[in-house]
Amino acid sequence: MNRWRFIDFGLVDIRDMMAMDEAILKGDEGNTFFFWTPKKSIILGYFQKAEVELNLANCKEYTITRRISGGGIAFSDDLGRQINYGVVGTIDNDLFPLDIIGSYKQICGVLIDTLIHYGLNAAFRPINDVVVTPYLNTGTKGARKISGNAQTRWEGKLLQNGTLLLDFDIEEMLRISNIPREKFLDKKIASIREGLTWLDRELGEQRDMEEVKGIMKRKFEERFNVRLKTGKLSEKETALTNSLLPKYYSPEWVFR
Amino acid sequence: MDASKIKQGIHKSKGGLIRSFVTIENGAIKDIDVSGDFFLFPEEAFFKIIKELKGIPAKRGKIQEIIEKTYEKENIQSPGTEPCDFTESIMKALEDT
Repeated sequence: MNRWRFIDFGLVDIRDMMAMDEAILKGDEGNTFFFWTPKKSIILGYFQKAEVELNLANCKEYTITRRISGGGIAFSDDLGRQINYGVVGTIDNDLFPLDIIGSYKQICGVLIDTLIHYGLNAAFRPINDVVVTPYLNTGTKGARKISGNAQTRWEGKLLQNGTLLLDFDIEEMLRISNIPREKFLDKKIASIREGLTWLDRELGEQRDMEEVKGIMKRKFEERFNVRLKTGKLSEKETALTNSLLPKYYSPEWVFR
Repeated sequence: MDASKIKQGIHKSKGGLIRSFVTIENGAIKDIDVSGDFFLFPEEAFFKIIKELKGIPAKRGKIQEIIEKTYEKENIQSPGTEPCDFTESIMKALEDT
């Protein structure tokens, strides 16, 4: 059985994490699955302008950076009950399909398998969301997003980042962001409050975050038929990370 | 950009929200900025679209043509978002009074 690298970065500054994220994609250590928990922070999608998407006056306590993939803001509150993951894989049309939505679906399958393990009715909602719907419901009626994901590609490899919410402060997210009404018009929901959910709410109790990560790791191994072996960044990746750090800390990158 | 002259448009594609900020001078696009939570590969090609749009006549047909050409030239893929979605967002900005 193939062995892929696994790293748990723990609680991290998001600027350091985004530099390591890019270094893993552009390094040569092979397929890797990794976790991290962000300190209080906001990550902008590649095409988002900070002054448009954020209520900057309310973001003063947050570390803000930008990632190399598209999609929307990733917001991490003080609760720290969010599992963030990354996957770097070689696009091979089997485990990691060339088709963009197909590859999102494949990786999001790990999250779906994890949620099903906890007895939830989870599904993939293209392009990049995992939703939970009440049982006995067909389609995506009543669907609430529990995980957002973002992918980029580089020289035949993909990097996907995503988050699984265990708890989430919606009111705080609304306070720091400028999300217009248009965002929800086609989702048949009145507001973001109805469109999001998290594991603690769905289960009616708190699960240990390490336990959930353990399930995700096992579901990853099952889905890709690989054994994950704990490792660390190589010297080359560390050097690359160090060279990328100034970008993730710079106002030119974040507020461009 | 002079804030008083910036026109804003919002359009939602299947792939995300596209917010356009446009300044017009003598019937042409003088300046343009786009912000959104869509996906587009390769990411850097997005700036080529923006660059190509500067200075062209502020007309739907021309805007669409330029975006389509840049998509083809740069081999752009944007799941859930079509060139016409960007055009629509920009047109909504142009209609902003």
